[in-house]
Amino acid sequence: MKNLDPTRAKWIRVRMGLLSGIMALGLGGFVSSAYRVQVEDAASWKETAENQRQRRLHIEPKRGGIYDRNGAALAASVEVPSISADVVEMLKGIDGQNTQAAALIDFSTRIAGALGMDPSDVHQKLANRRRFVWLKRRVTAEEAQAIRDLGDVKKHGGAYGPGKGAVKGLGVEGEGRRYYPGRELAGPVLGFVAPDGFGKDGLELSLDEELRGRVEEVRGLRDRSGRLIFSEGTTDESSLAGHDVHLAIDQAIQRVAERELDVAFRTYETKGASLVVMDPSSGDLLAMVSVPGFNPNDYGEAEADARRDRAVTDRFEPGSVMKVFTVAAALAAGSLKPTETIFCEHGTYSIGNVTIHDTHQNDWLTTTQVLAKSSNIGALKIGLALGEPGLYAAYRRFGFGEPTGLPLPGEASGVLRPRARPWFEVETANASFGQGISVTTVQLAAAMSAIANGGKVMEPILVRKITDARGNVVREWAPHVRREAVPQAVAKTVTEMLTAVVEDGGTGVEAAMSGFRVAGKTATAQKVDPATGKYSEDKYTASFVGFVPADKPRLVIAVVLDEPMIGRYGGDLAGPVFRRVAEASLRYLGVPPSNAAPKIKNVKGSDADPSLVSMKPDEPAAAEDGDGAGAAGTPVAAAGPAPLAGPPLPSSVKVPDTAGMGARDAVRAVGAVGLVPVVEGSGKLVKQLPAAGSAVPKGSSVRLVFEPAS
Amino acid sequence: MMTIRNRRLAPVVQQLALPLDAKPNRAASDRPVDVVLAAIVIALIGFGVVMVYSASAVQATLHMHDPQFFLKRQAAYAVVALCVFFLVGAVDYHRLYKLTYPVLGGVGILLLMCVVGLGHSGGGATRWLAVGPVHVQPAEMSKLALVCWLSYSLAKKADKVKTFTVGFLPHLLVAGVFMFLCMKQPDFGSSVVLLLLTFTMLFVAGAKVGYILGASMLGGVFGAVSIMSKQYRLDRWLAWQNMDQHRADLAYQPFQSVMAFGSGGPWGTGVGKGLQTLYLPEAHNDFIAAIIGEELGFVGILSLCVVFLALVARGVRAAYRAPDDYGSYLAFGISTMFGAQALVNLCVALAIFPTKGLTLPFLSFGGSSLLVNAAAAGILLNVSRQGMAAPAPELETPAPPRVAEDPLLDEPLFDAGARDDESVASALGEPSLLGDAASVKETA
Repeated sequence: MKNLDPTRAKWIRVRMGLLSGIMALGLGGFVSSAYRVQVEDAASWKETAENQRQRRLHIEPKRGGIYDRNGAALAASVEVPSISADVVEMLKGIDGQNTQAAALIDFSTRIAGALGMDPSDVHQKLANRRRFVWLKRRVTAEEAQAIRDLGDVKKHGGAYGPGKGAVKGLGVEGEGRRYYPGRELAGPVLGFVAPDGFGKDGLELSLDEELRGRVEEVRGLRDRSGRLIFSEGTTDESSLAGHDVHLAIDQAIQRVAERELDVAFRTYETKGASLVVMDPSSGDLLAMVSVPGFNPNDYGEAEADARRDRAVTDRFEPGSVMKVFTVAAALAAGSLKPTETIFCEHGTYSIGNVTIHDTHQNDWLTTTQVLAKSSNIGALKIGLALGEPGLYAAYRRFGFGEPTGLPLPGEASGVLRPRARPWFEVETANASFGQGISVTTVQLAAAMSAIANGGKVMEPILVRKITDARGNVVREWAPHVRREAVPQAVAKTVTEMLTAVVEDGGTGVEAAMSGFRVAGKTATAQKVDPATGKYSEDKYTASFVGFVPADKPRLVIAVVLDEPMIGRYGGDLAGPVFRRVAEASLRYLGVPPSNAAPKIKNVKGSDADPSLVSMKPDEPAAAEDGDGAGAAGTPVAAAGPAPLAGPPLPSSVKVPDTAGMGARDAVRAVGAVGLVPVVEGSGKLVKQLPAAGSAVPKGSSVRLVFEPAS
Repeated sequence: MMTIRNRRLAPVVQQLALPLDAKPNRAASDRPVDVVLAAIVIALIGFGVVMVYSASAVQATLHMHDPQFFLKRQAAYAVVALCVFFLVGAVDYHRLYKLTYPVLGGVGILLLMCVVGLGHSGGGATRWLAVGPVHVQPAEMSKLALVCWLSYSLAKKADKVKTFTVGFLPHLLVAGVFMFLCMKQPDFGSSVVLLLLTFTMLFVAGAKVGYILGASMLGGVFGAVSIMSKQYRLDRWLAWQNMDQHRADLAYQPFQSVMAFGSGGPWGTGVGKGLQTLYLPEAHNDFIAAIIGEELGFVGILSLCVVFLALVARGVRAAYRAPDDYGSYLAFGISTMFGAQALVNLCVALAIFPTKGLTLPFLSFGGSSLLVNAAAAGILLNVSRQGMAAPAPELETPAPPRVAEDPLLDEPLFDAGARDDESVASALGEPSLLGDAASVKETA
């Protein structure tokens, strides 16, 4: 059976051994290569692989939202589809250089048709034949559908032919797009997000890290087509998402404040304006307005000037508002008695070679009158009596000269000692009435809050809490007393003095409100003309800072108008803004008017009334009784975040007769029965629609037409 | 006895299969099998199922919505493959020669069917034939068919192998037809393996080295032309040359594969923890070695090489001990088939060779490859079993006592190979084993 010739068999075995040896050598070569790659170069390969996985995180984790204090969204991220292409995949199965080039042109035309793009643009993007290229980002739902149709094998068939056959390798991926439902609402506070996913201004910038979500927390990975793969059993994308930011701002108050400030901005043709509404008991910033504002949805259209939040970034010489703190400091230090009278030199007073004037020539004024009439000479005498160190220290205690610590970019600290040395006498005198120093609107509101709440300087709170995507609180800002600026008794005394400012004879009568006692201070500060370095004759900062109700303050409002072209005085210009914002906000908050407060008959400028559309339609008339104080807080929650459009009430009511009533009373009468007054014109009430006595559903609107009396 | 058997054959086979001096060795059927060889094959198949799962789970989840899609199929193939392995192993290889021409012709027809357009396309090539729900890959079968036919033909021709017209040309022509058909699919890798097998076996059988070198040169020219003629092959070749520039497009696969090896490091990331499966297309198939490299590290790759080396060494051992030329050629051809494919596949995975589209025997996903390789291993098992039936050494040519005393448990080749590549080479050429072969001759 054996067919083996011994020599032949031997040589066969030798040759087999030889070949086996060659194979073994080859294997040895492979092993040595593997050793080089896997042991010697392992670290660099590992890094390359890691970079690849990192680099392919195309989609940012979902950005957290920004909400107001009642949970209404101010900024939200929505997923918008984007179109990408894998050109290698696209050309798979198409052989030949020429065929591929032709196919690429054909595909470009069809894709361009679906996306409404220029075919040559598409072709340019495809020409590099990359495995991943964005074709168009943020497309509409129709465009995304058109792309899905193009890739549908069932519809077009798998095989490629000119103008037919499914286009492979097209991807539709969701990308986050920032959306601001309130449009301009709080725009400068919120800022905006650039297309690369980074916040560029406002809270979006300063809280970017929290909002964006952390990539290094990502335990999942993406594969080569960018799909998210979770390796460790995590299936919850919310673990990657950014944190939600909950603000102290109340959307409703913010809206009213923005509207009123914008009206003032246009009416008085100011360069800019800012407004801060603060809750003095907690430090919560209920509204923070900067005009001109911008719509973060179209941030590209806005100028950089409109995007900054003037309430924190702009410092200015505050003027007479500082007299409040000068007086408070002097009272606290004991250098001034509340009952003291001060000789005001008939309006002219010289310190060295500097002469200081008052607007009105006064002789002897009580401390209260110094504030009410805003006498510079009275204030500087109080300041000089207190002395430089005392005044400076008091200002610092009120929080001037240092940032308030709000999480906003570019906060100015203001400057108390511009020459970085203690004031000379004349500088102390100037500082006593707010000249030669600079502050921000937020600082003024915070300092006035300290007067309002009995001397405690509260930390201003813009962000109340940050929660992760599952709702767990990551960080929280509770009300925090920074220090006591003045004793409670002093604060009470100053408050009483400040109520005189809005009473007859004071500078702030425009800020007076019916049913509420108002405490506040006007300021009309000359601006330094940058051209001359001297105080300008026609450039002013008009402001009003005050709180209401004076005996139990709920709101501190600081209104600052920068360089009004029409008008000048803080009382005339900023006072009405304060009043309108305060009225609407108090009504919104359900704070009942007090019987003890003066009923102001002669309300100037009944054009104030349009602000009342924001009142709650079903604001109970019982509030007039003054016994609703205990329930003051509850209507807020019941009203919810959208008081402007109260819930439709089922029952119908009779339209009250408003004939002969004043604007205020007419609006109140209509509002009392659950109807929404719509005010047109100003002056005397001439018309009412629908007519009195007709039955209409609760919540419907009643037109009240006014005409000037003459 | 031989003639009686031949008379019962079909006329075609009768004509072609006449003068092979080989007959069933009845004594071998109750011999114990080569346990080491069987263990290696079973271990490789089992390991393959695990690695296929690890490499395919993510892709299977994404595309099939079933993480076990490939696992289930590979496990089923593995069960069938093991049955095939033992069944074929139980059949005396001497009976196989009758099947040589039917198998060769059948495979040729299947290959032709692929080429003329009856095949099933996938990945830009037509390599599959759909038989009901099963897709078979004739190119995989063609390798074993060619090895079987070459073994038969070379053994039959014996000394005439040295001649050109009888010994060299016919073999080259048959192989050439197969290669042409593979090339047409296109399956460049299989063609290369077919050529490699043909030359190897011709060389072993004693064909003139000059002819082989000449044909090799011809093959090289032909290969170069075929690379040049197809743009995608040229592109792929150039991309492989400048891998760094083409890591995003044409060299994407080899680059990702090397990255998988490298990121595995010396010890690997652990089975199932590889991340390159996300980036490496066909990770469970041609590039499974990359995933092994990543998940088991250099240690795993080294072990894998040792196991393949042991498989080939065990096969060569069987070839040395085979009772006749036919068995010897069969065993060596099959061993070379395993060894060459594994080596080429590994080198492709490490980007030492350009991408070819070859499977890693026993490990890559795919039924055709697994079943064909299992059948081949079965033949090898049977050859090894008969080799063990070698009679006790004669006194005049004393064989090394270790080999003779207990051939089953004694594994000088395996042990040597496991320790060192070089020592295997020397062990293969050890005179003691040649002495064994000489003893075989003496008994004839």
